[in-house]
Amino acid sequence: MKGTMKQKQIALIAEHRHGVLTPGTLETLSFVRELERALSLTTVIIILGKSIEDRACDIAGMTGTDIIGIEGEDLEFYNCEAYLAALEQPLVELNPTYVCIPHSSMGYDLAPRLAIRMKASCITAVEKIGKEGNSVTFSRSQWNGKIILEMESLSARGILTVLPGSWPKFDEKPGERGLVTTNHTAIEVNKSRTIGIKGAKRTDIDLAKAEVIVSAGKGLGSEENLSLIYKLSKLFPKSAVGASRAACDAGWLDHGHQIGITGKIVSPKLYIACGISGSTQHIAGMKGSHMVVAINTDPAASIFTVADYCIVEDIATFIPCVIENYHDLFSLHKESQ
Amino acid sequence: MKILVCIKEVPDSEGTIRINDSCRRIDVEGPYRMNRFDEFALEEALRIGEKMPVQSIDTLSVGPARAESTIRKGLEMGASRGIHILREESDDISAFETASLIASFARNEGYNLILTGVMAEDDMRSQVGPMIAEILGYPSASSVIHEEIDPEGGMLFAEREIEGGMRECLEMKLPALLTIQSGINRPRYPALSNVLRARNQEITTIPSPTLQQPEKREQIARLRYPETPSKGIVLGGNEREKARALIGILHEQSIL
Repeated sequence: MKGTMKQKQIALIAEHRHGVLTPGTLETLSFVRELERALSLTTVIIILGKSIEDRACDIAGMTGTDIIGIEGEDLEFYNCEAYLAALEQPLVELNPTYVCIPHSSMGYDLAPRLAIRMKASCITAVEKIGKEGNSVTFSRSQWNGKIILEMESLSARGILTVLPGSWPKFDEKPGERGLVTTNHTAIEVNKSRTIGIKGAKRTDIDLAKAEVIVSAGKGLGSEENLSLIYKLSKLFPKSAVGASRAACDAGWLDHGHQIGITGKIVSPKLYIACGISGSTQHIAGMKGSHMVVAINTDPAASIFTVADYCIVEDIATFIPCVIENYHDLFSLHKESQ
Repeated sequence: MKILVCIKEVPDSEGTIRINDSCRRIDVEGPYRMNRFDEFALEEALRIGEKMPVQSIDTLSVGPARAESTIRKGLEMGASRGIHILREESDDISAFETASLIASFARNEGYNLILTGVMAEDDMRSQVGPMIAEILGYPSASSVIHEEIDPEGGMLFAEREIEGGMRECLEMKLPALLTIQSGINRPRYPALSNVLRARNQEITTIPSPTLQQPEKREQIARLRYPETPSKGIVLGGNEREKARALIGILHEQSIL
């Protein structure tokens, strides 16, 4: 038998675009399933929007999880102030032990403020759950993945954000359909208002469709070496050029090339990281690639932790060497035919 | 307009970091410098100051005595005043504690705008900025990549970076807090005149015990290194051998 809403100890705040759950939300759902099993807890999903009831019913069927839908005029887009106001009443009633949110533009905007408001602990960008007796720890990376921090909550309530790419997207066969409760809220928002969302600049780079992505990082050294990245990518038929945030910020490449949490999340057949140290944000955006080759002068670079093939070389000399040898082998091959 | 920019000192990536035997602290060998994201925040404040009359651009850091050099760097870039909340070094300082200290200072200063970097390069928590805003009751937006201010109307327009290269557009009432994303501007090199001015400029030092300090709500259980440094195969040999090995692997996988 299903319990009442009051007995849920985990609240997952869903992120959606026009009613469609984001991949980060589906990953967070897998995270809460693991947390439920570790501590024998149950979950309720909270979804906010202008008109969300139909979608809430779909999600209750798809996940077998109870849903609270919160509808309000000011909830068409995510807005921190509006979300905080709309969540207050339901969270006071639920009094959950954990509130889980994807570590997305919504999650890292909302979680710290929610933690202050709920007098809760706040652990952001969680990558792993550790079980210790009756309690749990939450691992997160620091120093660009060179150090792992195992954190524990000391409060009765904890706010957690879940790093993208750390759990698979939820794909379990649901059991019984979840219950849906819809609340209408007439919240008052007067300090900030989300006006709308501006689309990405149109570019001719299609990172999503590329089978091979050659990405440039700060280790490129200078803009002049960018031609090497393009030359290397041209060896592959369906390829595109990606970049780390640092390479885009340096002005070498447009931000449309950026791969990572705030850029694009990709999973090509082959990902070649050239001079990329591998920030947590970047790795979260590419670790779903089928094969990863990393080239970097620093053998301790974090990118090597996710690479299938690690090459400690300077890309300024290594890429020309690959291209030259490729042409040598290719022409030899031709002659022998 | 009175602006506060919160800056943090972080170890320079050229130094080395090691987990202390206690497994609760990191030992740093090497110099410290200003968190890059905070450089973008300070630069943005200076650019606002060039566009409209600004009473003061204050720069503040919470940290041990060593953090003074990062505050001085802020003055060299062009900040009007440096504030140092002197906080003894400790194993585990939560974002909540840092935010409480800053908010406790800022509460009586009447700032119209507070800027921070979107995160610190070392601990990457992205928490201090929004927490300050919540404590002070300011509206906030994180990961801001563009902003326009209408001081007479008491309004601010901001664009924040969201997934897939899109931007969320917001209108906010001043006073407000923004956490600044990298790439919003190109931080300047200090002008010689500012370097000279900053050299002898007084920095306001406030011992942290005089400010509000909250109870810890989370703590470090332990620090560790990533489990497997690499699951990957390290290609050996000289450059040419590595290049040929790579071509061979990609050819075998029918990629090349």
